[in-house]
Amino acid sequence: MNIEDYRDMIPDFEKFVARMNEPQPYWLRVNTLKITEDELIPRLEDKGFVLERFAGMNAYQIENMPVKHPGATVEHSLGYYYVQDFSSMLPALLLSPSPGDFVLDMAAAPGSKTTLMAELMKNTGTIVANDISDNRIKALAANIERLGVSNAVIVKGDATSRRFGAKFDKILLDAPCTGEGTYRKNQKERMPNLSDHIRMSKIQKKMLKNAERHLKEGGILVYSTCTFNPLENEEVVQYGVEELGLKIEKVELDIPHDKGVKSWREWSFEKVSDRMIRIYPHLVDTGGMVIAVLKK
Amino acid sequence: MQFSKNNSYRDYFIERFGIGKEIEKYDFYEFAQSVWAYSGEYYEDKKIEVMGIRALRIKKVYKPTTAFLRIIGRYATKNVISLSSNDGMKFLKGENIDGVCGNNRGYVVVKSGSDVLGCGLCAGKLVSQIPKKYRIEETWL
Repeated sequence: MNIEDYRDMIPDFEKFVARMNEPQPYWLRVNTLKITEDELIPRLEDKGFVLERFAGMNAYQIENMPVKHPGATVEHSLGYYYVQDFSSMLPALLLSPSPGDFVLDMAAAPGSKTTLMAELMKNTGTIVANDISDNRIKALAANIERLGVSNAVIVKGDATSRRFGAKFDKILLDAPCTGEGTYRKNQKERMPNLSDHIRMSKIQKKMLKNAERHLKEGGILVYSTCTFNPLENEEVVQYGVEELGLKIEKVELDIPHDKGVKSWREWSFEKVSDRMIRIYPHLVDTGGMVIAVLKK
Repeated sequence: MQFSKNNSYRDYFIERFGIGKEIEKYDFYEFAQSVWAYSGEYYEDKKIEVMGIRALRIKKVYKPTTAFLRIIGRYATKNVISLSSNDGMKFLKGENIDGVCGNNRGYVVVKSGSDVLGCGLCAGKLVSQIPKKYRIEETWL
């Protein structure tokens, strides 16, 4: 796939391309399960970090730091913060789990969104955090432990077919994808081709079908990917609306974003495009993310 | 083998560290020579890999984990050792600290300022029990 294939789809395309070729800045969020923002941020600043808080949120862009990697501090080891791109925080924030909720995170590793949801839930309720691979589960378990998340249960399974034995209030399906939105972090990776997107889209639809099966009536499901191709986003969400009977919710999001794509090549996504959310790297200097909030 | 609930392990944290009602938000589960502290609602599944946070390893005596003490240790009222900032950094590097244990023996909560650093063992000197994955490196700040 050539990035030029998205020229008609992405607004301010030249700015998008320019930003995609720049290194991605680090972001962090304070782990409020262990420390407050007011306590941690001055500590990091005293050590030489230059942090820019974004829109009054618990999301800080690291503009300068005195270490090679933002995780090379005592505070990181103590679990006081998580290095996480701002775009990656949004699916969990839009799912907005409350204390006491029963939540399924279908493809949870390495745990950036799981740990954020635990914060929002104040370590109450339950998060069932699933992933398919042993190595990824190790990373998930390590992050959950470091951040002091005590309301999560980790299970292993294939999100396309695993039965979780319960129905959930809220489900996060941050689906495996071709990862075009992480290209700024991994610039040596090849861009996926059309057959990659088609293959991945089929898997994502199976996951969405399995997610819908485990959602309570009236429950909320957030579907997200970190890739731009509409076959992995609008196409999958449209399948959820047309074939699974899910409703796509209108979301007010007070940060720069774009709506979904109406059509691409021979595909049309008119039924869902207006309510989808696209985060592009040139809007807030992040990675990329595409999100839909669905209701059963 | 499955996680099996046993809240009698609460007593260890109450008796050893003087932790009060804060311990009651956790249910304790045994699994594979370990005890796990879990603050969520009960969830049944035959293939649970992890349930909450490992709180104790069951050996000849119970050994509390650094991960759980970093959550609950702030409420400890006894068997607590407070280190200076310099000694705290050494402790986090895995070094042992002389002259801080006093009359304490056995596993202790180690703090430095408002930070709970983790688990130490008082055996004459303070022996760092910080797992390798949490040890800080020379170049870190």
